[in-house]
Amino acid sequence: MKKPDLSKLKNIDFKKAARDFIYGKPHEERRLGDLYIPGTGLYKHREWRGIKDTVYYFNNIWLYNYGNIVADLFRYSGGNPKVLIQFLKGTLRYRWMGQTYLTVLHWFDRGLEGLRGEPLKASAWHYRALVSASLSQIVGMFMRDTNIGGDPELRAKTMGHDETVWGGIFYPYKDQMENIPLQMIPYFVTCHCNNHTVLNYIDSIQSLGLPGDPCPMCQAESGLYVEDDMPDFYPAYITTNEACDGSVATSIITDWLAQKPLYAMPQPMQFDDETVLENCAKEMEGAWRFIEEKLGVEFHWDELVKNLEAQNELMRFEWEKWDVDANTPYYPINGVAQALYRIFQSQYGERWIWHEVDSKVRKIMEKCVEERIETFPKTRHRVIAWSCAPLYYSNWCTWAYNCWGLNVVINMDSLMFDMEIRTDSYENTLMDMAKYHELAPMRRNAVGGLHHIFMLWENMEKFNCDMVAMYDQLQCKGMQGVVGLFEDEFRARGINAFWVPHALPDKRTVPRSEIRQIINDYMFTVMGEEPLDPTLLDFDDSDSW
Amino acid sequence: MIGRFIKKTLTAAALAYAGLFVVFYYDLDGKLLYYVVEPFMKKHFDNMERRDPHSVPYMQIEEEYM
Amino acid sequence: MRDLKHLIYFEDLLQEANNELVRKAKEDGRLCLGYTCYFMPEALLDLPGCFATRLRAPKCTSPDMASYYMSGRTCHYGRSLLERALEGGYNFIDAQLATETCTVTCRFQEHLGYMDGVINNATFKTEFTDVPFKKNENSIDHYEKQLKIHVLDFLSREFNVDVSDEAILEAIRINNEVNDLVSAIGDFRKLDNPTITGYEFHVITLVSMVCPKYLIVDKLRETLEELWSREPDDKPNYKIKVLLAGSENDDPDFTKLIESCGALVVADRYCYGSLEARGHINVEPGDSPLRAIAKHYLLSSQCARFMEQREMRNRKKVIADYAKEYKADGIIVASNKFCEYWSYERMIDSIVLPRDYGFPVCSIEKEYINTASGQLRTRFQAFVESVELKKIQEGR
Repeated sequence: MKKPDLSKLKNIDFKKAARDFIYGKPHEERRLGDLYIPGTGLYKHREWRGIKDTVYYFNNIWLYNYGNIVADLFRYSGGNPKVLIQFLKGTLRYRWMGQTYLTVLHWFDRGLEGLRGEPLKASAWHYRALVSASLSQIVGMFMRDTNIGGDPELRAKTMGHDETVWGGIFYPYKDQMENIPLQMIPYFVTCHCNNHTVLNYIDSIQSLGLPGDPCPMCQAESGLYVEDDMPDFYPAYITTNEACDGSVATSIITDWLAQKPLYAMPQPMQFDDETVLENCAKEMEGAWRFIEEKLGVEFHWDELVKNLEAQNELMRFEWEKWDVDANTPYYPINGVAQALYRIFQSQYGERWIWHEVDSKVRKIMEKCVEERIETFPKTRHRVIAWSCAPLYYSNWCTWAYNCWGLNVVINMDSLMFDMEIRTDSYENTLMDMAKYHELAPMRRNAVGGLHHIFMLWENMEKFNCDMVAMYDQLQCKGMQGVVGLFEDEFRARGINAFWVPHALPDKRTVPRSEIRQIINDYMFTVMGEEPLDPTLLDFDDSDSW
Repeated sequence: MIGRFIKKTLTAAALAYAGLFVVFYYDLDGKLLYYVVEPFMKKHFDNMERRDPHSVPYMQIEEEYM
Repeated sequence: MRDLKHLIYFEDLLQEANNELVRKAKEDGRLCLGYTCYFMPEALLDLPGCFATRLRAPKCTSPDMASYYMSGRTCHYGRSLLERALEGGYNFIDAQLATETCTVTCRFQEHLGYMDGVINNATFKTEFTDVPFKKNENSIDHYEKQLKIHVLDFLSREFNVDVSDEAILEAIRINNEVNDLVSAIGDFRKLDNPTITGYEFHVITLVSMVCPKYLIVDKLRETLEELWSREPDDKPNYKIKVLLAGSENDDPDFTKLIESCGALVVADRYCYGSLEARGHINVEPGDSPLRAIAKHYLLSSQCARFMEQREMRNRKKVIADYAKEYKADGIIVASNKFCEYWSYERMIDSIVLPRDYGFPVCSIEKEYINTASGQLRTRFQAFVESVELKKIQEGR
């Protein structure tokens, strides 16, 4: 029998090992890249974050969220046990469900890698809200979906709508009907959670003869219909031109393949001009007439006011968050959680879960400020991310912080919809709701004049950023149409900026490893810096969710 | 008797908790989903019979929504 | 057929944006107003003292500088326009009346407003108008209001242009004169054996869009007169007749290429085509001239950006109806590469038009200026053969 080599043991610093076990390793020693199983994105084992944070992660994130997924099924179905059957049927019927959402806890893992203490908690709460809001839609769709034996009576009181139609449009009827975005769950959230399935939809629309170059978001949304993977939970629906030409074109595909009554609620493109508000307001009123006619519901002013006030409350807290984010190092939410929560919340509209989560995040944030907890202590650069992000790698900013100390403090999508809506009179409310539409995702900054997209400079200053992560959505014609001016401006203003090329949901165009490589090259060659965690420079996650 | 029951329950709970922690720590949920569930579901969906929605004519409809 | 008397002259006018007649009008002290999209009403840009010119970038095959600014992944048309602007090719324009009606032309026009000195003309300004996506009353109201603020008020404020109702009526009269002439010329395409080719008509249509109308109208009138007595060839030199639909197309050589493959282009339902652009503007009782213009340009357009359910569906029928009216045997749907609207529209058309309306369709993706003519020629020839074969099988 071979004699065990005990010499290695002699070299172990037991005191340090104990400290690492209890408190977790210092940032530079974590070697997070070593945890991955090559190719898969899976972990050999999940990260040990010290006793306190590992136990928190296990109890309050992993167990809590698995448990709450089941609880949410009942919560959103009003305790109807049939939800389990419908959920199972939906899981087996729709690829975007059965192949995608079961992997949801890995979505948390990827976004929360390396986090400790308060940022771990606050960011995880944001993820919890995203999951809960997603489940409200999943349950809503499956309970109504006649493809899988859903309830036709519930279906008759449901309006479908483009995911880019702001949920606030439906506030006056919230006590009488349900609105469920058509593509938010079957497309948008899948890309973040498990980007494998969206590729089917892109391929299927192209199989009908669509070229590969239009916006892949619009392609995927259309592909859902081509694949016959859209639940039939709505008798009629509302579409919009938000956010671009591709969205208009998607409306045509859905009209053809859905064969249902459709109301188009386009928004004006130019919007510094106050006169466009009236047009927008009248289109909203048209949408309301359509809803009333199709669903047999009535306009309830009180319901509108109640929901708008609740939404205003969310907005006010978001401003408080931005204040802390912009002016202190104590902001406890990481880049990906900030972006996803804000875009989901402001687009989907008022829901109880946002308030519950905001109250928890408020406590955490107040604690960070009061106790001066530096939440991202390895920050080397405060980064603003601009333009639309890669959905299949929305957690790139988690990686960027762990690897390079790049702290993405704010992003363009977060800054959308930043206004309160007056509720003192019908006219004021209507005008403010029209204005609100102008501030919608991408529309706010990407259309209606170059000066909107160059709001980057003022936001960079406002959030005290010294670096720009410039998303380069290769198939977004609007953004591709201004790349040169950005290059010129970056040079003229002496701004450190790197480009993040991507194709929104389609990881095949620019793999995640290529995005990392571009950032690595920039940090080495332009910034002359060394990584905090070299194991994260290059690893194979080609087939990761 | 009650004490034994409580003890047994607590032991079972502790074992379940420890088991779940092992599942969590070694990413066994991820591995199960990645290596078993997803390939199965993918096969299931690839072989599923689907309607052909684009075979529907795309003609004018009587109702109009302005 | 005998050559049209003014064809070579017309062709020469299309060789550069700042052509002989544009220069002449400038020398006459007229204000040159550029535009790119049908939704910027030509009639309003022909107000007294002004003339409209729809921007083209002839012979621009390699927009290298513009590709730096707009990347190589945007519509070649938008990039070519910017290239031409960067080359100094649009310095003669006094103002660009812009619309945000498709992304890339919008970006091009934004560059004109944003980049100092790209248009080397001290008076140059860019003004944007918002164009609605629907054809309801709300949209007409909105469009009218936008045109008032961003065209009339702008021209009056910045250039002291007369924007009175009388002035607008005069501009409508001038436009109707040209519209009626071009439409009448286009009607010869409806004959069983047309006495004008698609190429010739494409050239004539473009000339009417890029030249000051008061300087071109006589030549158009003469051309119409000439066509009344023009005899067709005894034996047609085409095999089939086609309708050409699709996105922006101001390249007559593209039409020529199609016709060289045996398909006579008898109808032009594309941006820069005549079918909507050369319709007569009616001022109905009770409507102001501006209202009439707003109605005309909004309601006549068959642009792929209209979103109402009725409009989305009707567009297919309109193409099929035109094809019937002009006795086309098939339809060619051509979209510029990277055109978001027409990528989708073309795909749907290529399925719906044959299946639901019975027209064979050839679906083509093209560049702004088509250098890959060999590949396109093969596609067109195959299409012509297949339609011919179909006609033989049907005993036509």
